[in-house]
Amino acid sequence: MALREIDLNMGPQHPSTHGVLRLKLAVDNEVVLRVVPVIGYLHRGMEKLWENLTYTQVVPLTDRLDYIAALSNNLGYVLAVEKLAGIEVPRRARYIRIVLAELQRLASHLAGLGFMANDIGAMSVLLYGFEAREGVLDIFEEYCGARLTVHGIRIGGVPHDLDGALVARIRMVIDGIPKRLAEIRTLLDENRIWKGRTVGVGVIGAGDAVDYGLTGPSLRASGVPWDIRKDIPYSSYDEFDFDVPLGRNGDVYDRYFIRLEEITQSIRIVRQALDGLPAGEISAKVPRVLKVPPGEVFHTIEAPKGVLGFYVKSNGTDKPERVKMKSPSFINLQSLEHMCKGNLFSDVVGILGSLDIVLGEIDK
Amino acid sequence: MSRLGRFLRMVFLLDILQGLWVTLRRYFSRKVTVQYPEQVKEPAPRFRGILRLHRDDQGEPLCIACKACQRACGTNCFDIEGKKEEGAKVMRPVKFDWKLDRCSFCGLCVEVCPTAAIRFSREFRLTGVGKEGLFFHLPDMYRAGQDLQEHLCAGCRRPQ
Amino acid sequence: MTPFVADFLIPVGKIAAVILYPMLMVVVMIWLERRVVALMQGRLGPNRVGFQGILQPVADAVKLFFKENIMQRQADKFLFNISPVLVMFSSLLAFCFVPLGEPIRIGSYTLTLWIAESPVGLLIILGLSSISMFGVIFGGWASNSKYPLMGALRSVIQVLSYEIPVGLTVLTVAFIARSMDLVEIVRRQESSGVWYGFLMPVSFVVFWISSVAETNRAPFDLPEAESELVAGYHTEYSGMKFAYFYMAEYAHMVLVSSLVVILFFGGWLPPFPGVKALSFLHVVPGFVWYLVKIMFFLYLYVWIRATFPRYRFDSLIRLVWKWLIPLSLVNLLAVALVRYLL
Repeated sequence: MALREIDLNMGPQHPSTHGVLRLKLAVDNEVVLRVVPVIGYLHRGMEKLWENLTYTQVVPLTDRLDYIAALSNNLGYVLAVEKLAGIEVPRRARYIRIVLAELQRLASHLAGLGFMANDIGAMSVLLYGFEAREGVLDIFEEYCGARLTVHGIRIGGVPHDLDGALVARIRMVIDGIPKRLAEIRTLLDENRIWKGRTVGVGVIGAGDAVDYGLTGPSLRASGVPWDIRKDIPYSSYDEFDFDVPLGRNGDVYDRYFIRLEEITQSIRIVRQALDGLPAGEISAKVPRVLKVPPGEVFHTIEAPKGVLGFYVKSNGTDKPERVKMKSPSFINLQSLEHMCKGNLFSDVVGILGSLDIVLGEIDK
Repeated sequence: MSRLGRFLRMVFLLDILQGLWVTLRRYFSRKVTVQYPEQVKEPAPRFRGILRLHRDDQGEPLCIACKACQRACGTNCFDIEGKKEEGAKVMRPVKFDWKLDRCSFCGLCVEVCPTAAIRFSREFRLTGVGKEGLFFHLPDMYRAGQDLQEHLCAGCRRPQ
Repeated sequence: MTPFVADFLIPVGKIAAVILYPMLMVVVMIWLERRVVALMQGRLGPNRVGFQGILQPVADAVKLFFKENIMQRQADKFLFNISPVLVMFSSLLAFCFVPLGEPIRIGSYTLTLWIAESPVGLLIILGLSSISMFGVIFGGWASNSKYPLMGALRSVIQVLSYEIPVGLTVLTVAFIARSMDLVEIVRRQESSGVWYGFLMPVSFVVFWISSVAETNRAPFDLPEAESELVAGYHTEYSGMKFAYFYMAEYAHMVLVSSLVVILFFGGWLPPFPGVKALSFLHVVPGFVWYLVKIMFFLYLYVWIRATFPRYRFDSLIRLVWKWLIPLSLVNLLAVALVRYLL
């Protein structure tokens, strides 16, 4: 019996694509044969724009890339520039950066999990996740004034200090997160409907994951222990004690579970950082007009979505000559076809949700 | 869990009942919704609301038209001209145009200002009706609150 | 009581009641669903339109009424228009056979709280509620578009498959009550003292799960889920026609809740009839008890929707054919055996 292929279009406007993503699917009855993502609907020309701005002016614009986890983008870019310019960041600033980055990871995973659960039908989990995320966003508002486009890191350090009141507030928020997580886990972890939708769905093996360049929690769910925070530590991450959760099967359930575990680990890191916050400066002395010596650098960090890399090339002036961003979601999206092949097309939304992509990152 | 336990759990739908219990508990819990516009959540002290120029205690403007903010801004919101009056000690701005639709609220201008003249307010109610409301001139930059709203609604004939 | 009143006015009044009662419940359901789902999710839900948002259904109805009725050029006009009507028709017609309480004596006239009582009332209701399938498949076909057609097909397969456990479980009730007359079933529960839901919990659970699937409600709402690829058989419908599908779904839910209450939870009987200390409960009329029980099941519908993810279509079908049908068959045999022996 010949295959009867139907072309289906999951258009740019769809409740479940996380942003404006177009998926061209070819299905045979119900089984997915091909998935071709079409991107570019959110392209804003960021990398070209940055060539006309000074290094300092680029930092707030990096917020708009992965808008769910804006601080990670700030951190990635700033670390790259500091490496190129040879700026040494004081230890207190590094710890504060870790606190902020891990809080951002927490918030990003809560949002990602929420959206994945919502696509599969458990609407309440989305709202529980967002309610938990509110605490973190309130901290960002207290700290640097904005909740989403935070611009909370500067070249050389951090803009504000963490005083006692703010530290107490952070502790209060992270003490309340495990209860929310327990609620989400009770709703989903052992639920037969959830397991039926996610176990064994969208499987990608370790070898294939590495071949496709998959990074982040999705890679670790396939069993590959690659985490930049452990393997190429930056910004004092080597001084902290935390585990990197690993999955076994590389299916949607593992990717969901890994993200939950990472939230717990982030709380652990934040607690350690707050307990051991060293005294000192919060920023190195950086000239008002930063001129970076000529050179090029490629620096990677572990953003919540995966490995975020910034390639910065400077020619000695105060404006970068070229900034190229390697966004994790862009690379992760490649593996969507491999994961979806052979599954039913109702699973495509679930798999896409478990990959946790953000179109702002993909399209820049 | 033992096999018997797993079997019983499946037959008696325990995971289903646990899930139902979670939502029932949530049903009776206190809701965190802030009912805008009757209730307004006060923003944090460092909240990045709209920009405002400040005056000192004597009522003199703090801005010395050094154009540091104009240079720091990444989106070209500012257009500043200053003039030093005869016998005055410092320059004062004569023209201070600011475009709200270009501002990304990043705060670079606030950080570089040597006299802390330009600062963020906590005003986030920035709705207007006409495009004219998005263009701020020197007198508008000193406004706050209700005055600001009047300016933003410049396009409509709403009586205030 | 003149013949005019007895033979004309009262039946017309009952027909009006039979149309109004589900519609009123639909209005309540719209509000209940949005408010309860919101409260369970940690937010407030509609609370601006009228006290606690009670007028929200009115706002929704007005909105849908004023929306443009779009129909594609290639759509089959007749089928496109008739399918919402069919779905609504089947839900409403079944209400004629649903009894609401014991007959009331007004002077010399006995007012029966149902339009028709039939010795096979149960069968008729099940048959009538299946007509909605035609509305669904006509709607999907007439839309002349891939996604509604696939959604309609899925919905029809789902409804067809889940009718089998429904039929088998109501048979157990019919065995015990020795009748298919709904009024008789309630009377039997009264006389036997224990409601069938407690006597045969397996029947009740299987019936409930299958009925939730029959009404295309969460967690079995894949054919009409918003976030799935195929948006379901009512994709192409807008305005009042969509409102019809929407209202018919709620009316079907009310019908199913009524059935559950009558078959398994004593219909209009107050709880604990034997206990003398609670005999004050009998003061409350049967109709009120009936409403209270229906409201509980409607609340259960919404509660389930707010909690669980959706079943994928193949898991849905696997669930019914591999688990529910064998289980209900075994259950039926067990009940028949017990009935025969006792």
